[in-house]
Amino acid sequence: MLDTPAFDLEFATAADIAAAVKSGRISTQSVVEAALARIRNRDPLLNSFTAVTEKRALARARAIDEARAEGKKLGPLAGVPFAVKNLFDVAGLSTLAGSKINRDLPPAARDATLIEKLEAADAILVGALNMGEYAYDFTGENVHDGPSRNPHDLNRITGGSSGGSGAAVGGGLVPFALGSDTNGSIRVPSSLCGTLGLKPTYGRLSRARTFPFVTSLDHLGPLARNTRDLALAYDAMQGFDLDDPVCADRAVEPVTPHLDESIDGLRIAVASGYFKCKTAEALTAVDRVAVALGADRDIEIPQAERARSAAFIITASEGASLHLDRLRKRAADYDPAVRDRLIAGTMTPASLVVKAQKFRRWYRDQILKLFAEVDVILAPATPCTAPLIGQDMFEFGEAKMPVRANLGIYTQPFSFIGLPVVAVPVPLDPLPIAVQIITAPWREDVALRIAHTLETKGVVAAPRPSF
Amino acid sequence: MKRKSSRKPKAARAKRPVRLSQKKSTMAKPPKADNIAALVAANAQALGLNIKPEWREGVIFNLGLIMRIAALVDEFALPDDAETAPIYRA
Repeated sequence: MLDTPAFDLEFATAADIAAAVKSGRISTQSVVEAALARIRNRDPLLNSFTAVTEKRALARARAIDEARAEGKKLGPLAGVPFAVKNLFDVAGLSTLAGSKINRDLPPAARDATLIEKLEAADAILVGALNMGEYAYDFTGENVHDGPSRNPHDLNRITGGSSGGSGAAVGGGLVPFALGSDTNGSIRVPSSLCGTLGLKPTYGRLSRARTFPFVTSLDHLGPLARNTRDLALAYDAMQGFDLDDPVCADRAVEPVTPHLDESIDGLRIAVASGYFKCKTAEALTAVDRVAVALGADRDIEIPQAERARSAAFIITASEGASLHLDRLRKRAADYDPAVRDRLIAGTMTPASLVVKAQKFRRWYRDQILKLFAEVDVILAPATPCTAPLIGQDMFEFGEAKMPVRANLGIYTQPFSFIGLPVVAVPVPLDPLPIAVQIITAPWREDVALRIAHTLETKGVVAAPRPSF
Repeated sequence: MKRKSSRKPKAARAKRPVRLSQKKSTMAKPPKADNIAALVAANAQALGLNIKPEWREGVIFNLGLIMRIAALVDEFALPDDAETAPIYRA
């Protein structure tokens, strides 16, 4: 088998890699070796990987090449390298979830369901990725492993908590990666690192064998550099899973075959009020997307600020409850910023938490009514482009706001009720910023078609870093 | 309402915000800083949490933040038959 030198493996799409592997144009082993070489050469700058599963990846690559040689049909992600946020169980590794404490856990006995599904589609896991401690983070900074670094400016944050996922995909180490999103942790790093990110409907993808944060709000999903790759990964991961009690018993609904369908007739509105952009970059990004789509109306999201508040309360209390025993025994081993928030969270009055959960249902009912009027809602993904590592405040209109607490102000009101969202990067100069495409529950297909249309029009693209 | 594409969009809207049919709830005011400190001390004892002196300020700050943000939820009057939104299948 001859590898064609012209094939640009560095920024090749997952779809192109799979096609090349299936056709015999390139071997899986060479794809994986190239990915491992990129990780070796570039990750000392990006600090996105916390473990590289080289031996396993090469063994899988050989098995796929042998299967092809035997004439077996390969899966839709044949030979495509991917990596996962280190809260996913990877057989043989302790599931760190960004922490020091979890390093004492025994190695996982079995992969997370989503890894199993991706490898059943012949994708190849190459490692585990850096993240904010226990996913309680919007920056991608980590006191134990160091910050993951933005591929478009190494002095800037990736956004979090799936910071390593944003850096690894945006920096061209892997075509796609998995992250988790409780309040925005896929969409925020997608925005700051210039990748696409899909947070599917709550309950759509199994969370089995991943380290939780706030089970009421936890989602898993992919980050990629183009819509088709996002869709291919998403399709491979769909399906009911008894091992996750939240996973919906719902038929697989493939979206990849529908990406090229027209978006004519879709009613598209821009979220106003609470979501009105207060920085030039967010405003420019939303405006470009709205113009490209012919979005001709604004729409008010009722009680969005209160929704964010309720998400904050549920996160504080449920996250704290998860960690209560560890806080008693090993509080000194947490990132101080995370520890202080978790301890405070244990003291949240239960009556207010229940009220927040009741408000959640009320809010859901109001938002679902909006989808009788529109099919798609557009909103900024982050209030600003990537701040500097260690930066405490950012300018938000005429005010200054803390970075750590506020990067998710636009993402929380949607994940709070589990709506599907695709974050699409607008490649502004010098740094990208994303727009959220929000649809009704289970309509990931519509959001991805919109994203694909925007790519076709040249409005949305994952910028290639300059290093 | 039709949207004008511009760098300074008006805060126009297609729909009025939902008007609440209920009266505002009789919300308690968020506790003062001294009370938060007392709350932290009492809760730490009740929950068996050992808060080192150098952590105390951060915990008090964060619980104060939680209580201020929770006030936004607390002040929103919900009907008595409002259901929570957990995921559970019998």
